[in-house]
Amino acid sequence: MPRLPTSLLRRAYALDPYLPALLGPCRDLCAAQNELRWLREHVDGVAEKRRARGGTLARAALLRELVGKRARGMPLQYILGTEWFGEVEIRCRKGVLIPRQDTAASISHLVRFLRDAPNLPSELRVLDLCTGTGCIPLLFAHDFYDASSRPDLRILGVDVSEKALELAAHNLERTRKAQASVAKGNISFLQADILLNPFADQTEGPPSLKTALNLKRMPQFWDILISNPPYISPKEYWKTTTRSVRGFEPKLALVPPPDAAGTDTEQGDAFYRPLLTIAQDVEAKIVLLEIADLDQALRVGRRVREMDIYDGIEIWCDQPDAHPNTAAEDPASDSEFPIFGTGNARTVLCHRGQGTQWLQRTPSPHAPTSTPADTTEDCAHISHDGLEPSFDKTLLHAGDGRPFHERTLKSRKEPVDWEHWTGKPANAAAPWYTKEPRLGRR
Amino acid sequence: MTMIATPPWICRVCLSRLVRQAIGRPTRFYANATKAAPNSVPRALVERARTIAAEHRQLTAQLSDGFNARAAKQAGATAPVVSALQTWDKASEAVAELTALIHDPGSDPELRELAADDLDATRAELANASHGLVTALVPVHPFAHLPCLLEIRPGAGGSEAAIFAGDLLRMYQSFCNRTGFRATLLKYENINGTQEAGIPLAEAVLEIDQENAYSVFRCEAGVHRVQRVPATEKQGRTHTSAASVHVLPSLNENAAADENYDDPESDYYIDPKEVRLEVMRASGAGGQHVNKTESAVRLTHIPTTTAVSMQDSRSQPKNKEKAWALLRARIAQLRREKRDEEMVAMRRSVVGVAKMGRGDKVRTYNWNQQRVTDHRSGITVHHLDDMMEGGQTLEQVMESVRSWLMEKDLEALIADEEADTKK
Ligand SMILES: C[S@@+](CC[C@H](N)C(=O)[O-])C[C@H]1O[C@@H](n2cnc3c(N)ncnc32)[C@H](O)[C@@H]1O
Repeated sequence: MPRLPTSLLRRAYALDPYLPALLGPCRDLCAAQNELRWLREHVDGVAEKRRARGGTLARAALLRELVGKRARGMPLQYILGTEWFGEVEIRCRKGVLIPRQDTAASISHLVRFLRDAPNLPSELRVLDLCTGTGCIPLLFAHDFYDASSRPDLRILGVDVSEKALELAAHNLERTRKAQASVAKGNISFLQADILLNPFADQTEGPPSLKTALNLKRMPQFWDILISNPPYISPKEYWKTTTRSVRGFEPKLALVPPPDAAGTDTEQGDAFYRPLLTIAQDVEAKIVLLEIADLDQALRVGRRVREMDIYDGIEIWCDQPDAHPNTAAEDPASDSEFPIFGTGNARTVLCHRGQGTQWLQRTPSPHAPTSTPADTTEDCAHISHDGLEPSFDKTLLHAGDGRPFHERTLKSRKEPVDWEHWTGKPANAAAPWYTKEPRLGRR
Repeated sequence: MTMIATPPWICRVCLSRLVRQAIGRPTRFYANATKAAPNSVPRALVERARTIAAEHRQLTAQLSDGFNARAAKQAGATAPVVSALQTWDKASEAVAELTALIHDPGSDPELRELAADDLDATRAELANASHGLVTALVPVHPFAHLPCLLEIRPGAGGSEAAIFAGDLLRMYQSFCNRTGFRATLLKYENINGTQEAGIPLAEAVLEIDQENAYSVFRCEAGVHRVQRVPATEKQGRTHTSAASVHVLPSLNENAAADENYDDPESDYYIDPKEVRLEVMRASGAGGQHVNKTESAVRLTHIPTTTAVSMQDSRSQPKNKEKAWALLRARIAQLRREKRDEEMVAMRRSVVGVAKMGRGDKVRTYNWNQQRVTDHRSGITVHHLDDMMEGGQTLEQVMESVRSWLMEKDLEALIADEEADTKK
């Protein structure tokens, strides 16, 4: 990182002796001033509470201590203990990733569509995989119920980390108290390992998602799947993340686990294949996946296209609701997928059947030959009867020309040939997604 | 044909009553200030009142045939003029009768004496009724019923001006505190975020979220001048600096229902397509790669190049919401000012109409002499400390300016009516 110019430091000092220390992590004066103000407000708040309990607090000492922590790179959100995620204040704790505003923007944008959606089911089911603080379920419920009468909402947040689940539960309780709208939704959290082979005999550690859903008697079918999974490759981790991220946020939340065979890029993409498989198994009609940048968006988009079951694939940027003001700001000009908004590419959205209707999109010309809405209706009907779905393997035979429902229904009757897929016995220790066998890649 | 656009006739009496309630003291009417004699209402105004009363009768007839929301609203708005006119007619008649009785040589002397006794009280009644009638006729400012925003910014005079701007903010905050107005800081920018005295203020927006706050605080708009020895001045010289106060209608959600933002014809309408949204974001990858804290938002209304930036809150949606509120308020005020200017230009015949442009010096705060002078109403008060603490003294000054504003409105009204009748 370039050194800060002395003139800037001097100017900052003249304004407030605490500012130069904050310039390190903030880089610019305006941001440093804002952070100092929030730190002061925080200290005042703590002092106020202390006084209410009859104690006293040396404000100056506390402020000095907090500014010191921040200067050493500790994220402000860990110091203050919270971060705003859209209009919901989320508690943050060391060991769990701090929610990002970019994520919130995508979620709010999606919910805006759903609030206007025609023909929503009487209970809308949303699955949030890799939920962390639980921020996505809470914001979804908050925004969804912001307006008047809505269908019931059932949201399940899944994470592998105990710490994350504890914090998510705490956030749920806290937000329910503060916001009546969130209290209306049926929100819960569940421990599972998204990367785990659902067919492996597994005895220790968190179960696979499928096993966990069965154990907790949770529905097997979900309308919407959202995930902000770890998506940074090891190389990018050292190159692009800031020091404050590397030094203080959990690597588990940022970088997928290593895979001996894969390249650096493949490791960064490791969650998307299992996520897309799960999306298909739970028959999600809308899938929203956060990604690191346009390149990763394109890789994920292409993989989705190969699955040949979605009616539309699009890419949303950091501000998905903003209109590009200049052609230069418009990344959509000649992309193979429609791109919306301004800023960096941030999420990939896929939809099909009813999902396409809810978003009021028209199926793209590349859409699969048949995924009529009534077919998905069928599936939904089956699903909500609680029929056991079977993990199908259409993913592997993508584009075999048969309509989706035929493929799905057919695969339901067949026992899954796990070994055939992975080339490994079903109970092999290695993660189930690591190989890409026989999938025609472009 | 009337020369000016017909202003909405909203009950001025109700308004001043509300103002009085809000302030907790009756508004005094400076009867001597109108050019007309206290007891008489200019002919032109009486005629105007009669026209309104006739229209009101028609509307009422229309309403008895069936409900019509628009007619009902209009009738409701002019009802106070009708009743004020009735009271005035009655009082005028009484005075006329008594006077006739007194001057009639044929009347009984005892009766004449009784009439003479009565005359004073009846005249006082007529004076009251005249005041009531005139007040009812004065057009109410279109934003009068709204809550308001006070924008305070330092003007000429460097950091001393910035310190004075902070003093003004605290003055209004304590005023609101004392008089029970709900006031919240919508935006507060100074060098380090503390709100102690003596810290230079860059900009503050105080939201006063109460009906009619606009009409209470409208009198504060303009340039406030300070003359004192700044704390930083070593030679002990007196400096003159200034801070500006803008009063904007607050168009928050509560008001939204009534003011239909979505009607392209209204002052409050803003086409979202004409507003550019910028979020200040850390350059680079974004997403999981950074845990940025920037939440600043800037909105620019492209046709008027009005820009609003907001970074007080750590929540970006909150900043966005506040920025929209401020942008709406500024644009509504801009449009209103433009329209008022056009009106003043058309009314060229009248000199000294209430011109309160944003550049006009309205008040001087002099520390050496411990006095405050308002250059519009001409009032001078001496309790500078009480003034700066938002006490009774400030109330007294504000009241004098409101009366002055009322008189100016009246003068304009009379001038307009006279110009009309001449044609
Ligand atoms: C990038 S964070 C996202 C957190 C949250 N959704 C957000 O947007 O702030 C990724 C989360 O995935 C979780 N995670 C990592 N590996 C996982 C796995 N194999 N199965 C389930 N969750 C996992 C981490 O604990 C972390 O909370």
